[in-house]
Amino acid sequence: MTQGLAIQTNRLAKSYGTVQAVKEINLSVRLHNITAFLGLNGAGKSTTIKMLLGMMRPSSGDGTILGQQISDPMESIRIRSQIAYVSENKQLYNFMTVEQMIRFTSGFYPDWCPNEAQKLLRQYRLPLDRKVKSLSKGMRTKLGLLLAFARRPELLILDEPSEGLDPVGIEELLEILVTRCSEGTTVFFSSHQIAEVERVADQICVLHAGRLVLDSSLDDLRQSYRQIDLVFPSIPAEHDFRITGVEDVRTRGHQMRVLASGNTEGVVARAHDFQATSIDVTPVGLREIFLEKVKEN
Amino acid sequence: MLWYKAWLETRSRFLISLVGMVALCSVFVLHGDRDAIYEVPADYYNYVLFAGHQILVMMWALAVTLIMMGGLLREKATGSSAFTLALPVSRTRLMVVRICMGLAQAAVLAIVPWAAMFTVGSIFGKTHSLSQAAYYLVLLLGGGLVFFAMAVLISSLISGEYTAPVVSFGAVVVTAVALSSAALRRYNPWAFMTGSEYLSKRTNVLLLPIPWLQAAIYIFLAGLLLALSIKIIQQREF
Repeated sequence: MTQGLAIQTNRLAKSYGTVQAVKEINLSVRLHNITAFLGLNGAGKSTTIKMLLGMMRPSSGDGTILGQQISDPMESIRIRSQIAYVSENKQLYNFMTVEQMIRFTSGFYPDWCPNEAQKLLRQYRLPLDRKVKSLSKGMRTKLGLLLAFARRPELLILDEPSEGLDPVGIEELLEILVTRCSEGTTVFFSSHQIAEVERVADQICVLHAGRLVLDSSLDDLRQSYRQIDLVFPSIPAEHDFRITGVEDVRTRGHQMRVLASGNTEGVVARAHDFQATSIDVTPVGLREIFLEKVKEN
Repeated sequence: MLWYKAWLETRSRFLISLVGMVALCSVFVLHGDRDAIYEVPADYYNYVLFAGHQILVMMWALAVTLIMMGGLLREKATGSSAFTLALPVSRTRLMVVRICMGLAQAAVLAIVPWAAMFTVGSIFGKTHSLSQAAYYLVLLLGGGLVFFAMAVLISSLISGEYTAPVVSFGAVVVTAVALSSAALRRYNPWAFMTGSEYLSKRTNVLLLPIPWLQAAIYIFLAGLLLALSIKIIQQREF
């Protein structure tokens, strides 16, 4: 296994005809961390996950999960026995009851924990005799999560796991993710809920239009990103502030807002050069960083 | 556990088909010769069995098409393929279990209704012949496996929740009609299943010997179609 990495991809790419869904991404997911995989709809997140799990073949590049090649059919089976996965749409077998789904799934995994399954059944209040097709979306999501969390996998891959859950369900989910991570499980999950991500994630990966545009720890992002609000008697040109570390510059009247991923001191010094009357440096949330990264052009 | 899933997925369709076929075939044998009940000529009763077999063949083809409605492409349409493909099993194993369960059910759907026809005939004192029943079964299963394999192949090619069974049933009809001319009839698995090629018009009894070679050719063809289906699913992206 690559030292300390649960998932590693090397120029992993996927094309559909002339459309490049995933463009040679080099993804690194550290062991025993919670890594969030963010991106707009259609950014390529689910395609990447499907390639990792052997559901799709990469057009080029390769990758490993827990040290095993994703494109080798035999190793892919071993990968799937070591991980737990919850898919984006949470669809299960409509012809089975909840009890049958649990019995069916438990048969594939030696690490299945019946006590954990019972505990989650009580927690999620899932009716054992109800057919999957008659469950609400939230209940189906809970059943999918139960099937993943009733095991002790080395890696959890969750594709938008909070979708369909009520606020209590989301809270329980986040709690489980943090607990599992503290017990040694690596978590890799995609989400659109930035506030949730910010609460639990150690590492942030942002995919935009098939490209990995951000791969950094949340702590580093918090430390390095700053929003600098400036007021000038006479507004300078935006390009004067497009210096090293500046991600975005916006002006409005006599005010300028600069988003910097570093070199805050340089921006402040430049503001003094242009006789700024007000300089206000504030930390930036993940939401602003995400929006900046997925901004078109 | 894949067997468990395959059984749960198909059991309603299978059991409804089985009950319906047994009931219809039994009633047909019981009442099909009512008009000739006082004379009951052996050849007339044999004709009743032959006619009962024709009904069984049609129902069997429909039932097998419905039973083989499923697989990864249908799961893709209903959204559950991601769960199946994340299980630690190969696609080949997924396909093999599904095919084997389908074969077992197809065999039961041929044998049990024929056993019912045979038993009803025996109980009510009508003439019967075990070897004729076995002959009909060889024809039904030999030719029928081609349509079984076609249903599996089509379900591996066409997605959509109900598209594949509709196309499969259409393929059965097209094959039966397209190969119905005198020149092509010997290559027609439908004609083979019905046994019309081997029926004596005088005695209404199937003429020996049993066409093992042709049955083997159809089984081989079915094997090729099934192998092709597995290959397609192995290569397919989901």
